[in-house]
Amino acid sequence: MKRGRVRTGAIAIALCAIVASACARPVRERAPGTIQVDIESSPTSTDPRFATDAISSRVNELVFDSLVKVSRDGEFAGDLAERIERPDPTTIIFHLKHGVRFGDGRELTARDVKFTYDSILAPGSMSAKRAGMIELASVTAPDDYTVTMTTRHPYAPALEIAMQGIVPAGTPLPARSTASAPPGSGPFAMLSYRRDESVTLVRNPHHAAPPGAAREILFKVVPDPTVRALELAEGICGLSENNIEAAVLPWLADHKALEISNTPGTTYKYLAFNFRDPRLRDLRVRRAIAYSIDRAAIVNSMLRGTARVATGMLAPESWAYDGNAVSYGYDPAAARRLLDEAGYRADAGGMRNLRFEYKTTPEGARLAEVFQAMLKRVGITLDVRTLEWATYYGDIQRGNFQLTSLQWVGIEDPNYYYMVFDSAMAPPHGSTNRGYYSNTEMDALVEAGQRTIDPAARKEIYARVQQLAADDLPYVSLWWVNTVAVLNRDLGGFDPYPNGSLRSLAQVTLVTPGGAEPAQ
Amino acid sequence: MIRYLIRRMLALIPVALGVATLTFALIHLVPGDPVVAMLGDTAAPADLAGMRHQLGLDRPLAVQYATFIAGLAHGDLGESISYRQPVARLIAERFPATLELAGAGLLVAVLIAFPLGFIAGANPGSAGDVGAMGFAILGISVPHIYLGPLLMILFSLDLRWFPLTGRGGLAHLVLPAVTLGTALAAIIARMLRQSLIAVRASDYMRTALSKGLSPTAALLRHGLRNALTSVVTLLGLQLGGLLTGALIVEMIFSWPGLGRMLIAAISARDYPLVEGCVLTFALSYVVVNMTTDFVYAMVDPRVSLK
Repeated sequence: MKRGRVRTGAIAIALCAIVASACARPVRERAPGTIQVDIESSPTSTDPRFATDAISSRVNELVFDSLVKVSRDGEFAGDLAERIERPDPTTIIFHLKHGVRFGDGRELTARDVKFTYDSILAPGSMSAKRAGMIELASVTAPDDYTVTMTTRHPYAPALEIAMQGIVPAGTPLPARSTASAPPGSGPFAMLSYRRDESVTLVRNPHHAAPPGAAREILFKVVPDPTVRALELAEGICGLSENNIEAAVLPWLADHKALEISNTPGTTYKYLAFNFRDPRLRDLRVRRAIAYSIDRAAIVNSMLRGTARVATGMLAPESWAYDGNAVSYGYDPAAARRLLDEAGYRADAGGMRNLRFEYKTTPEGARLAEVFQAMLKRVGITLDVRTLEWATYYGDIQRGNFQLTSLQWVGIEDPNYYYMVFDSAMAPPHGSTNRGYYSNTEMDALVEAGQRTIDPAARKEIYARVQQLAADDLPYVSLWWVNTVAVLNRDLGGFDPYPNGSLRSLAQVTLVTPGGAEPAQ
Repeated sequence: MIRYLIRRMLALIPVALGVATLTFALIHLVPGDPVVAMLGDTAAPADLAGMRHQLGLDRPLAVQYATFIAGLAHGDLGESISYRQPVARLIAERFPATLELAGAGLLVAVLIAFPLGFIAGANPGSAGDVGAMGFAILGISVPHIYLGPLLMILFSLDLRWFPLTGRGGLAHLVLPAVTLGTALAAIIARMLRQSLIAVRASDYMRTALSKGLSPTAALLRHGLRNALTSVVTLLGLQLGGLLTGALIVEMIFSWPGLGRMLIAAISARDYPLVEGCVLTFALSYVVVNMTTDFVYAMVDPRVSLK
């Protein structure tokens, strides 16, 4: 009996050893010719007519071409269009390139472009992009290689509408499932889409690729930021952009196999006021808050130099940037003086009868604590309320906040000023002027900026808009977020975009032995 | 036994109804709009209204509740708002991964806890006892969110034994299972130690020793089975916790399970999917506890199921 038990125990130990040895194998392999890109959440749609979130856009622009694209310098450039004409303020004519083919071999023609836009504008489409195309009156295809776009009024940012990814004519609406992607004419085709897990792209056989270019891109959803950093360090992940915590960057920089690029970006971080609060309608209070935030210190320490202190919504690289707008440096003495003038006198402890609620998400809690400490120095009490994202965002959209901080991703055209500061865009009619800011001069300017086609005249209008926004302070401009890419040195030719686009993945080559794609 | 089983199965109905009602109420009470999450905040108001109508979200809450319960009665959990697929199918796809992780976590817990608990319980006050209980305190104290990355750095980054993330073969399961099972191992080890110390003082153990058995053999043959009754009860209670504890572990290890889907569904305010996932977790918990009662009866002949 005893011997039997000993034997059973020995067998169990041997089995455990076998299992353990089976598990303990080298696990650093990467499929040849494949680049893994870690993303923090799943793309919501593989159909460019419906996708509005940043991650879907990043993936979809590698699969679907559009009439125009924004170049690395922030200028509109032809993509499918080889030539663009603007014969009058409401008409744009796009002359398409010949011989562009979808992944399934069909040639892309003006008919596909018209279909794509018509399917979005159809009342039953339920596409979130319809609202952004409200100025679009029609899209016609006079012949196979010409597309005419007509707007209802002279509309300066019309080329933004032309950035829509094109799908083949007849592609049904993704009413039942988002799992299957329509073919695109971009450098890659979608091989698989497993929501919350991964998206795999393979080369579009009908699209030229540079010699040695990657054959496949695996976008892997890795929700945990620490794990994303570990995957980079491990060499499993080839590239991670704008989703690595600043605090981890020095550790990653110590890895010889990794390279960190820190490119000036166009994503704008701001502190928003709610103008329905009478205390925040007082310009002196808003300015006092602006003077009490030490943005340079936050950028240098907490963000470890991965941002630039902002003077307004438009970054200096923008054609419409105006360097003459007022800027608010860190000046707590000026803040205290303004608050005194506004009637909020400090008590013996230095605090004032000025208490605001600051809403944020768990990810923004650290920044909230920094704001809280900085505002306390001038006597303002900030009650930080941390909410789960959907609850937080619901509150912000309804204007149910006093102070909050958010960001606008990849600002290109100054028409953003219309979106966020025009009084018509405040809830309930709009949802982007979340602080209910209302200024008749601002309304007139941003509406004029939208209708003025001449670039020089438009630049003048937006110079005044930027000055007014800095004077009137509907937002405190915090910083422009840099595009921070951490990539394996195996990857050659990756060129980060200021707006975070991953388009240059199409040109990336793999220098690992056995990883390169033969020249096509 | 059969009557007991039927009675327990019938008891599942009011439990399911209660959980479904509570989940429905809670998810509808918290702010957030699934349609805005789906279409984005720049969508036209008419489109938002159209989508709300299409999804039935513009109907009175009572009507939505009645529709949900009626669907549930027919085994229909509805359609996910964000995935546009039947909730039951999504759960069927993801739940096996969570069960696999929870099962492996339980196995790890038992494999660690039994030797440690036995060593500590057989020789209280010894170096082995101190070491085992030291581990137990450490295991309970270290949260998943810290232990997971720590194991990753050690066993994946440095030793290169196991893959970092994802679900694949057995190798992918080891680190998530150890992360999930360690805290439970610590709890079980402490419980087993206490139970063994208690049974050591009992009359039948004295009899066994007087018959000439060594203390270890007496404890193994006669003490362990009696000590197991409390451990089995604890296991039943903790396995439910293991299922929900998998939520965090799934996020850390990018494990494609139900917990990760539930977190995404909560963010997207995907009402049907949240309700389906919570209901699945709740019913699993009940089933596990029911199973525990049966195992309890098997381990301890004094217990009968009526």
